[in-house]
Amino acid sequence: QSMSLSVSPAQTTVWKRQIFDQLTERNKREMENFTHYEQAIEQSVWVKKGTM
Amino acid sequence: MADDKDVLRDVWFGRIPSCFTLNSDEVTEREAEPYYLMLPRVSYLTLVTDKVKKHFLKAMRTDEVEEMWFEYEGTPLKWHYPIGVLFDLHASASALPWSIIVHFKSFPDRDLLHCPTNSVIEAHFMSSIKEADVLKHKSQVVNDMQKKDHKQLWMGLQNDKFDQFWAMNRKLMEYSTEEGGFRYIPFRIYQTTGDKPFIQKLFRPVSPQGNPHTLCDLLKEMYPAALTNDGEQKRYQVLIHGIEPLLETPLQWLSEHLSHPDNFLHICIVPVPTD
Repeated sequence: QSMSLSVSPAQTTVWKRQIFDQLTERNKREMENFTHYEQAIEQSVWVKKGTM
Repeated sequence: MADDKDVLRDVWFGRIPSCFTLNSDEVTEREAEPYYLMLPRVSYLTLVTDKVKKHFLKAMRTDEVEEMWFEYEGTPLKWHYPIGVLFDLHASASALPWSIIVHFKSFPDRDLLHCPTNSVIEAHFMSSIKEADVLKHKSQVVNDMQKKDHKQLWMGLQNDKFDQFWAMNRKLMEYSTEEGGFRYIPFRIYQTTGDKPFIQKLFRPVSPQGNPHTLCDLLKEMYPAALTNDGEQKRYQVLIHGIEPLLETPLQWLSEHLSHPDNFLHICIVPVPTD
């Protein structure tokens, strides 16, 4: 893509890695200690029943 | 190194632990326990709080119940802003879980829009997507979609279905290589001070000379006070989904990867916490 032509790979790595790392850190901070909390949106689970 | 697609998942599956407490002025028949819930950052408060409503209604006197609304430390929470934006803007410096007060009386008409049904949220969400597509592609992508495609975007958000949503949303993120990005970047910059709720203007992802615009370029033009000069102490945090991207991050990439499902890049500018 034309965007990447004027941005060197080394520079790209810095800002992108920083975003990856911060998201990981955010997830840890906001979610890790709260896994026992109820989720606001229930994920429906589909169970396939077969007849043998 | 992680893949760009992992960012989309992290954005979608971001959750904020919250503790809902009934406003102490509400008339109840019995004591209402607090309710703890993980809220999706990219959704809307009134879309994901059915359980909260049900929980507190059990304790309420039915003749005392009006439209439910939420407050954080005296600020009514606007349901039409994404949950993550409300948190980053008002509560990012506070301890978790996020403590939200639930009201069933005295709806603050001056501050909040009414939200009687989920179809109001759907209309708001779809109108934001359409507005974003006007900016990105002169409406071409949304107009080429069918009614069922629009529904797929909404149902994806409503039911927290990442794959269902992105199967359609990827079309809204396309652009031609020779253009180097969208026509304009759909963004909103929020601050807690000032008379306007947010800043939204036209801004291109690439300069007239063909250089990619960065987050720094956007802030320089829209909110220069958020930038720190050499030797100055940092006064503001620039938060997107609870993180502070480096100022050299290209805006086009941010728009493609850190936009909310409504296709806007929501940027919160908050004072650096002092503790």
